[in-house]
Amino acid sequence: MDVELAKPFVKAAIDVIGTMAFITPRPGKPFVKKNSIAIGDVTGLVGLTGERNKRGSVSISFQKTCAIAMVKNMLGDDIQDLLQDVKDAVGEITNMISGQARAGLAEKGLVLQGSTPTVIMGDNHSITHIAKSPIMAIPFETDAGNFTIEFCFE
Amino acid sequence: MGMLDGFRDKDFLDQITILNDIAGSRDYAALAGLRELFDRPTGDTSVDYMVVGALNAVLGANEDEVARGLSGGSAAYRTLCIRVAGEYAFASAAAELVEMAETETDTDRLIEILAALAKIRPDDGAAVFRAFLGHEDAMLAALAMEMCGVYADAQAIPFLKAAVEATDAQLTYDQCDITTWKAIDALAAMATPETIGFLAANVHHMNPTARRLITDALVRLGEAALPFLEAHYASGDVDQRILACNVAGFIGSRKGADALVRAFDAGAFSDPNSRYAAFEALGRIGTLKGLVCLVDGLSEDDELILMAVVTGLERHAAPGVLKTIADTLARADKKSWRIAHAIIASRALRLFQELYKDEAVGNMLMDCLRASQDQEILDAFGQRLGEIGGDRARAAAASLPKAKAATRKALAADDSKSMLAMYRRILTDLGFEPLLAANGQEAFALVEAGEFVDVVLTDMNMPVMDGMELAGKLRGALGYEDVPIIMVTTESESSQREMATRIGVTGFITKPFKPDDLKAVLAELLGA
Repeated sequence: MDVELAKPFVKAAIDVIGTMAFITPRPGKPFVKKNSIAIGDVTGLVGLTGERNKRGSVSISFQKTCAIAMVKNMLGDDIQDLLQDVKDAVGEITNMISGQARAGLAEKGLVLQGSTPTVIMGDNHSITHIAKSPIMAIPFETDAGNFTIEFCFE
Repeated sequence: MGMLDGFRDKDFLDQITILNDIAGSRDYAALAGLRELFDRPTGDTSVDYMVVGALNAVLGANEDEVARGLSGGSAAYRTLCIRVAGEYAFASAAAELVEMAETETDTDRLIEILAALAKIRPDDGAAVFRAFLGHEDAMLAALAMEMCGVYADAQAIPFLKAAVEATDAQLTYDQCDITTWKAIDALAAMATPETIGFLAANVHHMNPTARRLITDALVRLGEAALPFLEAHYASGDVDQRILACNVAGFIGSRKGADALVRAFDAGAFSDPNSRYAAFEALGRIGTLKGLVCLVDGLSEDDELILMAVVTGLERHAAPGVLKTIADTLARADKKSWRIAHAIIASRALRLFQELYKDEAVGNMLMDCLRASQDQEILDAFGQRLGEIGGDRARAAAASLPKAKAATRKALAADDSKSMLAMYRRILTDLGFEPLLAANGQEAFALVEAGEFVDVVLTDMNMPVMDGMELAGKLRGALGYEDVPIIMVTTESESSQREMATRIGVTGFITKPFKPDDLKAVLAELLGA
């Protein structure tokens, strides 16, 4: 069930958000979703492809408060345009998480290509993973709000 | 001379050409050089990744070296060997991996080891995975459960059952632990009488996600699940009976239909809700015995059940069935009118086309059709009359009224086709333009596409997205903060009403209901 694929993304998320945004995420219990919709205020999404037709997507959906806290921590008082900065920051963080996780996997001989992240914004928006198999989600809590990572691999 | 001599001094193009060649030839002679490069990377990420790729390929052709690598070398090299052992399913590595699994304490490394063992699947591997069923890392435990299913490990069954029962619906209605998910799948994979029986008994699991996973698993099991579902037709509570019927309908086997007919004959479906579900399942399967049972169903009084019966008959209309229906309608009594209404409301065009051939019966159906306020229904039958052709049909088509233009919209979500047909009829009667969806996700997609409605009707249990989740999402959607949401439940689901109210459901109606009951609820909520 590709646990060995999912784990590195969880580790990378904790690591990247901790290092870049000085926020310590606390992972909750992973759960399975019965629909393919991810909900959040800001979502970073990457598509992944690999050998033997492995493909999937990983999304990281942040609550607004959490996304804004990240931007503030990253940029300090230098916020010009909050919306644009949140979009950039979430895109950048998603990219780093995807990059770090894939680097970890590549060191073990498993190469995945990641797409450029797409960022979707909008209060309580939803996005749909294209997947036949159930989707695994890992919730995270931070002092500034919550975020959820969702995986689907086929 | 080795092919990697002086590698670090070569330029990038030469380096990647060499590594590419090695990855293709998988030449053992390159191993020492590659290991040196692996342990002391060049610093150029692209080259270093290719080194790993080449090493991976060489190791993949040298099982003995991989087995040796598991116990020696750097930590990174050992991890690589673990992964290669799994990727190429090297059986000789299994014993060493099993030993490592017993002593390893680092969760990440353990996952690598177990993932490799999962791919190798050594004959005696069951005990290894069983030992991790209760591991605190949910992902690791989930992997262990999955493999207990693959090994059909009977000793793991009690643990797996407990994991299925552990998910607490009250706390998290839309979430289900991944361990519960994997436990359900593992029990289904074992497919023993004990495990299938357990899943069938939990077909109405308190957690909606778990319930759907169990339903999916039973449908996958197919005919093997039928005897265990049958056991619940007579003994289960109403919800169990309904869901057991649904699953039998989805499995769609002749044996399933026979069992449903047997249960009918034994009087198992005494309450209207399970009778409705049983007729719907029979309609889906469509065997001869099932059709006979459906024809009996034409004598039902309940409008909703009658629509399920008609929908089923529409799918499998056979000449004998048509004759019976025509004879019943020709009596022109109260029952005949009910059936005629159900044929129109269910949009049973095939039945209509056949029955229309008899002039008296055709006129009766036309009377019902002309009373419809639903423009889509009028259009559909009007078009069918055009296809039938001839003077009588053309005149009939011309006599169809135009429905009054609807000024209000209503959204109805239900996975049952006949329930949707019923909502359509009630809503159009009340002057609503109905928007219909087969589950919460479809309904929410309409809202996201910009549809605005005056009221929402939703079933509680639906695949893909249930009514609870739909209600929660609607309350978060712009403009839907106060739109009345009416949830349709069965009597035994009333325990979940409190949760639904918290989520934002405005009112409830209990199945089965008469159209007037729903009209009354709508009138009360909308003040019209």
